[in-house]
Amino acid sequence: MTWNEFIYFALGSLLLWTFGTVALYRVKKSFTGELLIIAGLLLFSTFIGLLWSHIDHPPLRTMGETRLWYSFFLVLVGYITYKIWRFKWLMAYSILVSAAFIFVNLLKPEIHGTNLMPALQSIWFVPHVTVYILSYAMMGAATIAATITLSTGKKRESELMPLIDNLVHIGFGFLVLGMLMGAIWAKEAWGDYWTWDPKEVWAFITGSAYLVYMHAHYAKISRKDALWILPVAFILLMITWLGVNYLPAAQGSIHTY
Amino acid sequence: MGSQSKRKQETALVEIIIISAVIIAGFALQFVIGPLDFGILVFPVNLILGFILLLPILFKLSQPIRKFGSGKVSVILLTIVTIMAIYMGLVSGNDVKHSWPFAFVYLMCMVNLAIAIGKRVRKFRLKKDYGFMLNHIGLLLLLFAAGPGSADMQRWFMTVAEGATEWRGERSGATDPVELPIAITLLDFKMDEYPPKIAIVDKVTGESQPVKRPVFVEAVGGETGIISGWRVSVDSFDYRPMMAPVAMISAERVSDGKILTGRVSCGNHFQQFRILDIDERLCFAMTYPEPERFSSQVEVFTKDGKEKSGVVEVNAPIKTGSWNIYQYSYDTSKGRDSQISIFELVYDPWLIPAYAGIAMVMLGSLTLLFRGGKRE
Ligand code: HEM
Repeated sequence: MTWNEFIYFALGSLLLWTFGTVALYRVKKSFTGELLIIAGLLLFSTFIGLLWSHIDHPPLRTMGETRLWYSFFLVLVGYITYKIWRFKWLMAYSILVSAAFIFVNLLKPEIHGTNLMPALQSIWFVPHVTVYILSYAMMGAATIAATITLSTGKKRESELMPLIDNLVHIGFGFLVLGMLMGAIWAKEAWGDYWTWDPKEVWAFITGSAYLVYMHAHYAKISRKDALWILPVAFILLMITWLGVNYLPAAQGSIHTY
Repeated sequence: MGSQSKRKQETALVEIIIISAVIIAGFALQFVIGPLDFGILVFPVNLILGFILLLPILFKLSQPIRKFGSGKVSVILLTIVTIMAIYMGLVSGNDVKHSWPFAFVYLMCMVNLAIAIGKRVRKFRLKKDYGFMLNHIGLLLLLFAAGPGSADMQRWFMTVAEGATEWRGERSGATDPVELPIAITLLDFKMDEYPPKIAIVDKVTGESQPVKRPVFVEAVGGETGIISGWRVSVDSFDYRPMMAPVAMISAERVSDGKILTGRVSCGNHFQQFRILDIDERLCFAMTYPEPERFSSQVEVFTKDGKEKSGVVEVNAPIKTGSWNIYQYSYDTSKGRDSQISIFELVYDPWLIPAYAGIAMVMLGSLTLLFRGGKRE
């Protein structure tokens, strides 16, 4: 199996996942939708397995191969999180981002050959990025819910508060997993867990801002006032994700790609 | 009710005053003696500090001290940490991480965690507290190992020739090699490279064509591709030991059928590079092969008689005792024909606590994924 056959597996999986998600929304019992999503996962993992046996080493050496794993794990972990929390939108989001990675691989095939330098060929690369993407989704959803609560006042508060707290805690769980996997990887590759590289500094800032929110009730800050932390923290998160490379302090970061 | 809430406010004030005083003391030290020298924390100082941090967990403290383990204090400290880190992230060339105020806030976080853990230990109920314990004990261990523990860390570079055994290492920057308690015999250095690529290069600027979105053709026999209007095919590719890679290429200009053939080579330590001219400005050239993976077959000896053999590879260090040996570099001018290997040796006696901390916090974050924001 080679990249030439990727399109059939990729489009097949995407169709199964899309119909599965639609079924989650439309069909009363979630069984049909889940079955389709699992079928898509099996189809996609079949391609990874066959490609692996064809090239005779784990497909982790090119940018394209790395994207293959994102596409797979986003949907897998998204599905597991859906099983626990029943967030249908998360299923839709995971599939959308997964589709984005799949389409980059389909439309810019020369990218299969973009080789990874040895330090990037690590089993931690893929989970490190995947859990961050899921964390962003949770935090994004929490920020939207917080904005609604702040602008509509008392009415929606009791309904949305528990949801917001769940989203932030789940999102923070993913965030910490991402940071620590990055730390283990850095230790394996460079001998240091944490070097205060600009991207690491901003990831730290983001993490500690969310920790302020999670501990705020101890300081007798009302839940409503604490909500203001969330949009601020989300801006910090965006800086970490997208903005760091443009900051003057970030010149020479190992994370600029 | 009123008087009680007033007392609450007053006590928070005491905590804020203490925290401010400590931070001001940090600034004072910073101005008087300059940045914190981590050297003052080397063993056994950090171990003693570690024991002091254990005290609140092992023994019940008096009420006024216990207050410093409250959630309220954690919010104040976390806010200060966030602000300091924002300064660190925005102002270029700062050295916040080696400053006294930062070190003191870091220390206060550890004290806050230790006291909070101590309070929970005394009324521990597994079902209710396991998440808290995993997250906070794990984090305390990690903060300790990565903070005061890192003072014991040593980094050395060691260059070993194939077939030779080396005891001496150098610190980065320094020039005099020092005898280490660890030695490495290099049995074999091996390297795989990605095939080099054929490009059209501007001889003046050195830029690959088309500018900004360059196209390459892999130098593998039989490969073809179109670069800037030239149909390029690689007729043969030859890469022998102790020689530079050479490709025989032919190229046809699509617009008028003009044909060029010849050898190109990126050259290396052993041979000159070769290009194939198109005109005054442009030519066909070969990029250097990029390393795909490189590894060293080694035997490692320590002064206390331990022996270990294995393969060191990027992302796969060899561990013996508190030493980690990393594949760092090689003779890049000779590429895969390098007869030396350069290792980085990291001595870190706090490695196990650090990994234990990471493992605990990872398990702790799984509890967050399953339990969400539920509070007891
Ligand atoms: C991985 C990072 C962290 C996570 C996930 C976390 C999570 C939590 C949670 C969920 C609680 C409430 C526990 C419960 O009600 O069972 C809590 C309490 C607390 N946390 Fe954290 N926290 C983290 C880091 C920190 C840090 C860095 C500090 C100190 C600076 C801290 C200090 C405290 C304190 C003092 C309490 C209150 C304990 C009490 O009064 O019983 N935490 N934390």
